[in-house]
This record gives sequence, structure tokens and C-alpha cells, in this order.
Amino acid sequence: MPDLRMSGARTRTPQPGDEVQKEHSGRVGRVILIMAVSLGAVMMFFPFLWTVITSFSSGLGLSAKPSLIPQQPSLDAYRILFLDLPFARIIANSLAIALVVTFAQVLTSALAAYVFTRMPFKGRGVIFALYLATMMIPGQVLLVPQFVIMKDLGLIDNYLGVLLPSIATAFGVFLLKQGMDAVPRDLDEAAKLDGASHFQTFLRIVLPNTGPSIATLSIFAFMGSWNNFLWPLVILRSEEKQTLPLALAGLQGQYTTNWDVMMAGSVISILPMLAIYIFAQKYVVRGIASTGIK
Amino acid sequence: MKHSRLLQIGVITAIAGLVAGCSSTTDDASSGPDDSAAAAPVTVTYSNFISNGGNEDNLDKIVAAFEKENPNITVEVTTLPYSDYFTALQTDLVAGTQADVFDIEFANYRSYVESGVAAPIQGVDTSKYRKALADSYATDGVQYALPTSFSTVVLYFNKDLFDAAGVDYPTADWTWEDENAAAAKITDKGNDIWGDYQPFTYNEYYKTVAQAGGSFLSADGSQATFNSPEGIQAAKFLVDKVGNTMPAAGDASTDSDADLFSTGHLAMWHTGIWMFNSMQEVPFNWDIVVEPGLTQQASHLFSNAVMVSANSKEIEAATKWADFLTSSPAMVEARLASSWELPPVADDAALSAYLTQGLPENRQAVFESLDGVAIAPSIGANQAQMADIVTKYLGEAAAGRMTVEEAVKKSSDEVQPLLPSK
Amino acid sequence: MTNIVVEEPQQASAAAALPRRRRWRHPRYYVTVAAFLAPSAIPLLLLVYYPMVQAMWTSLHDWNLIGPKKWVGIANYEVLLTDFGTARIFWHSAQYIIGYIPLVFVGGLAVALALNTALKGRNFFRGVYFLPVVTSWIAVSLVWKWLLNPHSGAVNTVLGWFGIEGPGWYIDPHWAMPSIVVASVWKDVGFVMVILLAGLQAIPAEIEEAAILDGAGWWRRLISVTLPLLSPTTFFVLIISLIGGFQVFDQAYAMTAGGPNDATRTVVLEIYDLTFRYGQAGMASALSMLLFVVILAFTAIQLVGQRRWVHYA
Repeated sequence: MPDLRMSGARTRTPQPGDEVQKEHSGRVGRVILIMAVSLGAVMMFFPFLWTVITSFSSGLGLSAKPSLIPQQPSLDAYRILFLDLPFARIIANSLAIALVVTFAQVLTSALAAYVFTRMPFKGRGVIFALYLATMMIPGQVLLVPQFVIMKDLGLIDNYLGVLLPSIATAFGVFLLKQGMDAVPRDLDEAAKLDGASHFQTFLRIVLPNTGPSIATLSIFAFMGSWNNFLWPLVILRSEEKQTLPLALAGLQGQYTTNWDVMMAGSVISILPMLAIYIFAQKYVVRGIASTGIK
Repeated sequence: MKHSRLLQIGVITAIAGLVAGCSSTTDDASSGPDDSAAAAPVTVTYSNFISNGGNEDNLDKIVAAFEKENPNITVEVTTLPYSDYFTALQTDLVAGTQADVFDIEFANYRSYVESGVAAPIQGVDTSKYRKALADSYATDGVQYALPTSFSTVVLYFNKDLFDAAGVDYPTADWTWEDENAAAAKITDKGNDIWGDYQPFTYNEYYKTVAQAGGSFLSADGSQATFNSPEGIQAAKFLVDKVGNTMPAAGDASTDSDADLFSTGHLAMWHTGIWMFNSMQEVPFNWDIVVEPGLTQQASHLFSNAVMVSANSKEIEAATKWADFLTSSPAMVEARLASSWELPPVADDAALSAYLTQGLPENRQAVFESLDGVAIAPSIGANQAQMADIVTKYLGEAAAGRMTVEEAVKKSSDEVQPLLPSK
Repeated sequence: MTNIVVEEPQQASAAAALPRRRRWRHPRYYVTVAAFLAPSAIPLLLLVYYPMVQAMWTSLHDWNLIGPKKWVGIANYEVLLTDFGTARIFWHSAQYIIGYIPLVFVGGLAVALALNTALKGRNFFRGVYFLPVVTSWIAVSLVWKWLLNPHSGAVNTVLGWFGIEGPGWYIDPHWAMPSIVVASVWKDVGFVMVILLAGLQAIPAEIEEAAILDGAGWWRRLISVTLPLLSPTTFFVLIISLIGGFQVFDQAYAMTAGGPNDATRTVVLEIYDLTFRYGQAGMASALSMLLFVVILAFTAIQLVGQRRWVHYA
């Protein structure tokens, strides 16, 4: 029985005979590949490097020609961020909200995705299209009506008010559906023969084999919540509930732009997300997979 | 016995009446349902953008001073960045969750009043504000907002660059010709030295039209009158600089005019007095002067204001706060001490401390510029659209994709239908 | 839906044999379906569909948000459908999509394929390519304006080495949208890469190995094995990019603010300005309804067409 555990590493059991294959396309191809990938990586990284360098610079005129060496190096930008803001509180707010949103999105999306991949019924396609349709209205249009709904529910300036619009997403449903479609149905059949209910099949068979897609969704859900600006802006009032994007925007003056502070804020924003990315790639996949029965 | 009892009751009633009468005359806001409730704790919410970006502590000081004078009133402040403030405010207004007192700027005063969200300000003596400011926030004799601060635009100049080019410093008698001549002499594109910078936007345009002796709109505001010789002259003044004495986007080492000036690459800079604080540490000598006009001097008068929400449950207390925020000595002191724009008070003597708060030396020019003010057109709901149209076409002319005459004509044609018909 | 093709082939042939309509299911089945769908359906109904209905209602009014709504019937739609400007902003959004989707997909695919091999430092590279995705548009737009500066930017400098005179990029109306496309592709390649990687990892290793043993070179493998098996994920990326591309806002707002000369004025940018700056929320809602219809049409075409080229397991 082939090992269908969807881990992050692609393992290939060596077979006699394909050693030759490896030799040919091996050397030159590999070198070119590494060079191309590295060049691309440099292009990806360079702008980030500038961001970091600028965050360690100070003084005036930072929007002028960028340099690789910090001009007037200083920790002022970070000092302003860490000392002038209730930093720990802000990060805690953003983190808590993002984690809850991520968990909720994965849960609600997985459940719905299972229906679209494994539970046929008349009109399922229409309902799926209706799910997709929720992505076709720009958030700017939904902002005001959603706000009024929150006010009617009494959730202004409330963490729950920040969360609610984000707990379900058609993006997640779609992503996980595609991921679950790739899980072979023989496993389902086997489980059904053993008398498993839909929920058990979902939990023990399909879900554990959707690890990579769930990891992907986790990353995007976290990112979406972490960077969310407009909605927390209109719904939160109290200072102690502020999230990171709000706090960073608050540091910008009406007429002046402190590029060093802005870049420092960007750097600080990025680091947790990178951490989640790495974490998700490694552990979420493994963790999800381990909950299943092969 | 009965007789004296009646007398006692009568006396007590009379005294009670006198006391009630006295306390109501010392109320400085419209008398509420019951004066005894003035002692009950009240919370006033205030949302603002004016303190964002460095002046939050100053606002806290003003709030503390107010709460000290009014122990039963607590002010809850929400501060948002300017660029997002109005999105949040409008969302609030839809849901009815706006603060009791909220910031506005002149550009949207009219449309807010017309939509009925502002409570008339009652019981405040408006003569303590500068007349021009108080009047711009009153409609048909009713005061709907109180000015919180004002600022003007002046001409900054880099003394060192003038010295290096051997050009005399600008004076209050300069005209556009003097400015252009000086800029041409100082500009050295090869070395990234630029003579002049003036944004070619709607704000600058209606002012330069006035400086040329023309007007942007007709007196009753129903006709666009800037497609005139003066209007074209003003547009040419703004647009001809670009690419010659003023960098076009991408020409200079930076697109930010603030950074260009602060790094010593710009000789003359039209911008507001709000930049004084950022320019204290620059590595060169600089000063300011009233902006040169052509046939007359006309300057900007920008201001921000606060409105009391028409739905507020605490209109009395909210008005007290608005009054304090806009006229109290505590506010004047906080603003002057940190160069946080200018208090809107009429008493120039109270502002004398401003003149010695640091660079620039010639702060007197700020008050001189108020001698001739270009009236800002205010047309209500279509204000932002009008500004966007003018800025867009001036930008096209500046980029050379359109002649100045074309740009002015197109702007005029597209602005006309947006004007309220009288 | 494809599930009919894949899931119930027996049903299809059975239906051909017997005049049976549809498969009967125990009512409990539908209860289960509802239970699975409820956690996502209820929030979406309340927080997206209900507001959508409200937006539809608003589109029949003239409204500046802060005052009362004024009924105007279909007047907003009349204005939008007869004004040439409407077609122009849709065209701008379309320009974005036409440039963005092919580039970001090919780029993302190339990187995903490269980083799916046993390459040294692969995890490091995956992290680096993902960096732009998590960087905010404020920082990204500043950096890209540096890079695309017509006079001193790195891009035009490098082009100059090859004797090509670089264009005005974000200052030139003809090059402003390409500038935004370039910055967006750069930023989103990592996003596409992550999704495609998940899809690639779901392809069973033995299938690739079997192809290699059959003597297929990497290009052959790509075309005949990898891409077809990746097609569900490709389909996903296409739909998401289309839906998102039509709603492009952040980068147009941050890099060019819709300029120069409205060259990068996209539909959602216009919706935002109409709602929050011009006091025309009714018109904005009408425009968003038009946008919705356009996106729905394109998506429907994709959904129907997937039968032709998307292979499900």
C-alpha cells in the first residue's frame, strides 16, 4: 500500500537504473537551478533588506536614495515603538485575535469543504457558487453595513466584534476543498465499510491527509488577521484594545512621514508572520497528519 | 401660629427661588433639564485627529486641565490618524456611534451642517475667536462648529543656498517675478539643487488665482470663474516651475519635498507652518517670509474645528469641553509651548509667546500673512471631487501632456456642474 | 459540477439504464450536510449576504452616509452605464488582471517546482520568497518607487546597461499600471508559490517516479504528469487571482493613488472614493453591484469550463 502521508518532504526511494538519469540532468541542471533560484531570492530579499536598513537609520531625508548602510545608525525608531507604545499589550491583542481567527477559519472551512468534496446533493454546485460569491463584493462596500450590524449586536469596541466577520471565509472553503479533492476516495470507502459516519471519516481520514492545505490556510488566515487595518479601525475605540496596524498608523503624523519608524513597524509586523509561516510548514502539517489513521 | 407658618414657607420658597435663579445664571451652557444633575458624573467622548503624530501628550494636558475645572466631567479621547479619521467618522455617523465632540476640517464643514449632524453651539461667546475663523464655522448666523487651531502657508527659504548663489533673501515685497528670478539663478539640476517647490494642487491653485487678482468662484459660489486671464496666469506660475526650478516626480533625489528641503537641496519651499517643528535640526540656516503674490498678497488660512454631535446625550457637557478645547488658557499654553499649530483666539497678545518659540526667526510673517487671505471655496458635498479634478488637470499640464489653457478650461468645465446652483 | 462526473459514475450509467431520478438519501444526511455547513454559512449569511442586500438597497438611493437616504430608483445605474468613465475604470482593472495573472502564475509555478525538488537550502528559499507576501503595501510601495524611479532607480539603471532607455514607470500614464503589476507580481509570487507547493506535495511521489522510470524528461513530466495533476490547484489560483484582481485596491492606493491622470483608477478605488470622499455611497453601491456581476460572470465561465481541463483525483 503506497505511503500517502502528505509530509513536507518529498522522499524518493532510489531504484536501480535511475542513477544514470540523475547523472545527466544532474550537474548542469542543478547549478542553473540554484543560480536562478538565488537570483530570484535576491530580488525578493533586497527590498526587505532596505526596509530593515532604513529602520536602523535616523535623521532627515530618509526617503531619498536608499543605501545599504544605515545613515546615522540609531535605534531611535525601535525605541519609539517599544517605549512610546504599550507594545506588549498591542502584540498580545493582535496575536490573540489572529490565533482565534486562524483556528476558527480552519475549522469552519474544513467542515464546509468536506461537504463540497464528499457529500453530494442536488444544488450543491449552486451553494458552492454562493460561497464563492461572497468573495466578489469588495470589503469597502461591506464595511458600513457590517458596522451597523455590529452596533446592533452591541459589539462595538469589543474583541468579538473584530473577530466575527473573519471566522468564515469562502477562500478557506475553496482552498480546503481543492486539497480534500486530492485525497483518494479509496480511504473513504475503506472507512465506510468499517461503519464510519461522515463526521468520523472527516475527522480521521480526510482531514489528516489535507495537512499542506490546512497549513497554507493557517498562514493566510493569520496574515489576514494580523494585517487587518480598516475593520479594527472602525470598530475598536479603547486604547488598550489596539492592534498592531492601528498602533503603527497612529505614529504617522498628518504632514510628515517618519520613514524609519514606519519601516521599523513593518519589520516588527513581519517577524511574527515569518515565524508562523515556518511553524506552519513544519509542525502543522506533521501535527494534522498525525491525528489520522492511515 | 398658622400665620407665621405661612410666612416661613413663603420665605423659604423665596430663598429657594433666589438660589435656583442664581445658579441658572452662572450656567455657561444651555440650561439642561435639571441643574442638580450637573453634579452627577458625566462622560464626554471626543474623537480627533489633530493630536495624532506627536501631540497626544499635549491633548492629555488640556484634558487634565479641563477635568480639574469640571470634576464631574470625564473626557474620553479617541485619536486616529488623519488619513483614516474621516472613514471612521462617517462610518460612525451612519451607525449613530459618533463621539459627542468630533474633529472636522473646513473642507467638510458645509456638508456636515447640511446633513444635520451638528448641534448648534449655544452659550459660547464667539467673539473670543479670530473673526475670520469663527465666521467660517457659522451658517446663517448660527454657530455650528468651533475652530480648534489655524495654520497658514508661508515661503521657507534656505539662507545658505541663497548666499552660495549670491542672491538676496526674499522679502515681504517680493512678487512672483522676483521668486522666479531667484529660483532660476539658484537651480543647479546637475547637483540636485532646486530653486523652488510649490505643489500644483487645488489648494495652491485657488490661492495663486487670488494672488493674481482673480477669483476661483464667483461671490455667490455658483460660477467657476477661474478660466480667466488671472486663472491662466496662476496656473502657468505653478506649472512652469516643474522641471525647471522645481523637480518633477523622479527628477530629484527624493519625491518628498520635506526631505528635499531638510537635506539642503531646496532653496524655496511653499508649505505650512506645521513643518516648523520638523525643521528645527536641519544642518543649514533658514527663515520664512510671507508668500509673494502678483498683484496682491493672498495666503491660505487653514483651520480645523470641532462639532458637537446633534445626537449627543450630553450636549451641555460636550459644549463645555468644546469651548475649553478651543479657547482656554491651558490650551493656548499647550499649543504655544510645543508649536502645535496656532490657537484660534482673537487676542494677538496671548500669542506673543509664539514669536520666540524657536526657528524660524521671522515668525512674525505668520501673522503678516493673515493680512490678505484667499477665501477657500466651500461648496458642500462635492468639495473633494472639485479638488481632485483641479489637481488632476494641473498635474497633466505639469507633465506636459496638456497646455495650461486646456487644463484650466477642462477643470472649469468639469467643476461647473458640481457647484450648488443659487 | 465535476463531482457528478467523478463521484457517481455508477449513478450516471444506472440512470441511463433505469428511469430513476436521483438517489434517495436519508433525511439525516441532509441534517449532517446542514450541520457541516452551518458554522461557515451562518456567519457568511449574516455578515456578507445581509450587507450585500443592504448595498443593493443603497444602490437605489443617493446617500452621503451622514444624512438620510434619498430614493432615486435606477438613476445611479443609468449614470454608470451611460458614462464612458465606467468602462474606463473596468478596463483599468482588466489591464491589471491581464498583466498580473499570467506573470504571477508562471513565476509562482517556476519557483514552486524549483523548491519542490531536493534542493539545498530549500526551506530557506521558501522563507525568502514568502517575505514580500507578509510585507505591508506601505513599505512595498516605497521600495518599488525607489526601484522604478525613472532617473535613479535600479530598474532603469540596469536597463541602461543593456542600452534600453527605461520608461517613466509610475509617472507615465502608459506605464503606471505596468508598474503596479510588476510590484504586485513581485509581492505575490510567494503567495502563489505556497499554494502550488501544497498542491505539488499532494501529488503522490510514485507517479512522478513512474514517469521518470518511463524515461520522461523533466519537460515531458511537467506537461503530461505534473500540470494535469496540479490542475485543481491551478484552477484555485486562477479563480482567486481573478476575483482578487478585479478588486485590486491597496497597491493602486499606495503607489499611485489612481493617477497619473486616472490611469490606475481601478473599480474599487473609485468605489472607495465615491463612498468616503465624494459622499456618493449610493453610486458606489451601484458600481459594486456591476462589479459583482462582472466577477460572477467570469467566475461562472471558469467554473463551467473546468470540466475541460481540470483533472480531479
